[in-house]
Amino acid sequence: MLEAIDLRKVYGGHEALQGLNLRVEAGDIYCLLGANGAGKTTTINLFLNFIAPTSGSARVNGVDVAQNALETKRWLAYIPEQVMLYGNLSGLENLEYFARLGGHDHYTRADYEGFLDRVGLQRDAAGRRVRTYSKGMRQKVGVAIALAKQAKALLLDEPTSGLDPKASNEFSELLVQLKGGGAAILMATHDLFRAKETGTRIGIMKGGRLVQELSTDEVSHADVERIYLEHMH
Amino acid sequence: MITTIARKEFAEIVRDGRFRWTAALVVLLLVTALLAGWQRYAAYSAVQAAAQGATNEQWLKQGDKNPHTAAHYGNYAFKPLGPLAFFDSGITSYAGTAVFMEAHKQNFAIGRPANDTSSIARFGELNGAMILQVLLPLLIVFLGFTAFAAERESGTLRQVLSTGVSRGSLLWGKALGLGAAVAVVVVPCLLVGGAVIAAAGLETAEEGMAARTALVALAYLLYAATFLFLTLAVSAWARNARAALMVMVGFWAFTAFIMPKAAGELAKAAHPSPAFGTFMAEMKAHQRRGIDGVSPFAKLGRYQGQLFRQYKVSRVEDLPLYWTAVRMQKLEEIDQPVFDLHYGKVRDTYLAQRRLQDRIGVVAPTLPLRSISMGLAGTDLVQQSRFMADAEAFRHDMVFKMNDYLSKAAVDLNGVNSASRFMIANEEVFAIVPPFRYEPPAFADVLAEQVPNFALLGAWLAAAVGLAVLATRRMDLEAR
Repeated sequence: MLEAIDLRKVYGGHEALQGLNLRVEAGDIYCLLGANGAGKTTTINLFLNFIAPTSGSARVNGVDVAQNALETKRWLAYIPEQVMLYGNLSGLENLEYFARLGGHDHYTRADYEGFLDRVGLQRDAAGRRVRTYSKGMRQKVGVAIALAKQAKALLLDEPTSGLDPKASNEFSELLVQLKGGGAAILMATHDLFRAKETGTRIGIMKGGRLVQELSTDEVSHADVERIYLEHMH
Repeated sequence: MITTIARKEFAEIVRDGRFRWTAALVVLLLVTALLAGWQRYAAYSAVQAAAQGATNEQWLKQGDKNPHTAAHYGNYAFKPLGPLAFFDSGITSYAGTAVFMEAHKQNFAIGRPANDTSSIARFGELNGAMILQVLLPLLIVFLGFTAFAAERESGTLRQVLSTGVSRGSLLWGKALGLGAAVAVVVVPCLLVGGAVIAAAGLETAEEGMAARTALVALAYLLYAATFLFLTLAVSAWARNARAALMVMVGFWAFTAFIMPKAAGELAKAAHPSPAFGTFMAEMKAHQRRGIDGVSPFAKLGRYQGQLFRQYKVSRVEDLPLYWTAVRMQKLEEIDQPVFDLHYGKVRDTYLAQRRLQDRIGVVAPTLPLRSISMGLAGTDLVQQSRFMADAEAFRHDMVFKMNDYLSKAAVDLNGVNSASRFMIANEEVFAIVPPFRYEPPAFADVLAEQVPNFALLGAWLAAAVGLAVLATRRMDLEAR
């Protein structure tokens, strides 16, 4: 579903991404681990065509992102560290707006409420302006937007950082649901525990390279931490 | 897609605190200006009609006297205003609204309300046109400068573009939403203003009132849309919302405040208008010298010789016309080309200044808009010149009719000393001079004058849209 082929990105003289090759299939939660500056966010930005690759290709559903930016975005949903919403609109209005922008203008109000129910946003909160929301509530709206979009692939950039353990856990459960629905999920994260717990695969990045890939069912929590730290030294 | 974006933009703008106070301010000022304009217009029109009636009556009832003396007694022309003058009073307050028409002399217009007010009037009268020219763009800038810049700063721009919406749709949607928010404030005020004129059911000599109103509205729409797209372009291009606001407020001050004054000064420097004293002195000297270097008295002598030959007489007493009247009419005709030349030069200078100001509209869209607005409202220089020309034609006709009557009716007074005392005319004779009537220029002529200004405004809008499209295409997603 998501595929990076020899993907390179050079900023000035700095090589942010050095020939990344990566595949995320439907039903996968692929967790990208690595220090800040390892190239995780650059990878996600390339899949969203927010930046142009220096060489190589990022593909969604087999279609090159740089050449068909608007088409490939139809299949994508993006949840950054902080889901950015319009403070003067309610959660419901934000959801409706983003769903419509994504090309889904057939939903009824009940549908939208259904999405917000599924992500666990309180009914009374849904009608309030987003300005009053906690970070966890914003992230839930972000997931509801992904649900409404019926995205085939999700790009998550440290979506749980700063969430309390309960909110973080709820978020992870939503990801597992989405995975069950056949979505391909690529998530940049610092949370080794969640990566092992909810991820199906783990990729460790360092200095713009993918240095190791693991399948989570073949390693323990301790292994993940040990392997990660080995690479960071 | 575009309507979805427009609806969301509209909702966001209207819910923002900025909207409430700017809208309240603009509504307050616009309604006040329209009412003040209406009140001024109604008062002026009443006075104008009454004064013109009174002066016509005075002419007829001036008392029995010699017809040439009656021509000296004279008559006033008062300029009537068209209904749109309540919206845009143009140069009315500065140019003079009344002309004294008398024998031997062509006069400048008098009755300039601006002369009687404090210097505050130099900022321009509070009227609807001024509010729309100055405050409407500011309203657009205040509501629109955040359009892209704030979304970039808050990060929603990334979120929005991740959905796969095109940048073009985003631009058009935002333009529509912002336009709707501005319209919600301005349009009701204008409809009320329009209803007031319609309800008053004014009679006017101006043709094509509906078309005039529609064209004035079109001009303001082009102007507002230009500001709207420029604001969006700058919001997309600027480093942040603050910078976008600074740039747009700077441009606003430049076009709406600095350039109208500066263009006036520039035009005056390029086409200097003479000082009143110099003008009068030069014209009088030219009058004495004669238009072609032959003095008026030499011309009169020749004319007398011509008449003697024509009627085969050798003495004034034998002429079949009253020579004193013929002589005065001839003097009128000798002076006329001198008046026409000098007054014509002043008028051409003012028109050249006006045209140059319009062309400066290449850098400031407020200038062509201002011209269109006053031109169609019938309060600009072209119509002022037309009024002056009408008054001069009336004066000429009045003097001719009086002299002509005298020359035929008083033949037997030729050679009599102080003859003017013996030829007395009454109201019936004065009535051969019809009351003054101002004929406004034809709508087609008024419009033709404004075609280049419409073209300029159109070019501004096209450039603004082009800039907005370019800026959104190249816009950064991250705050720099």
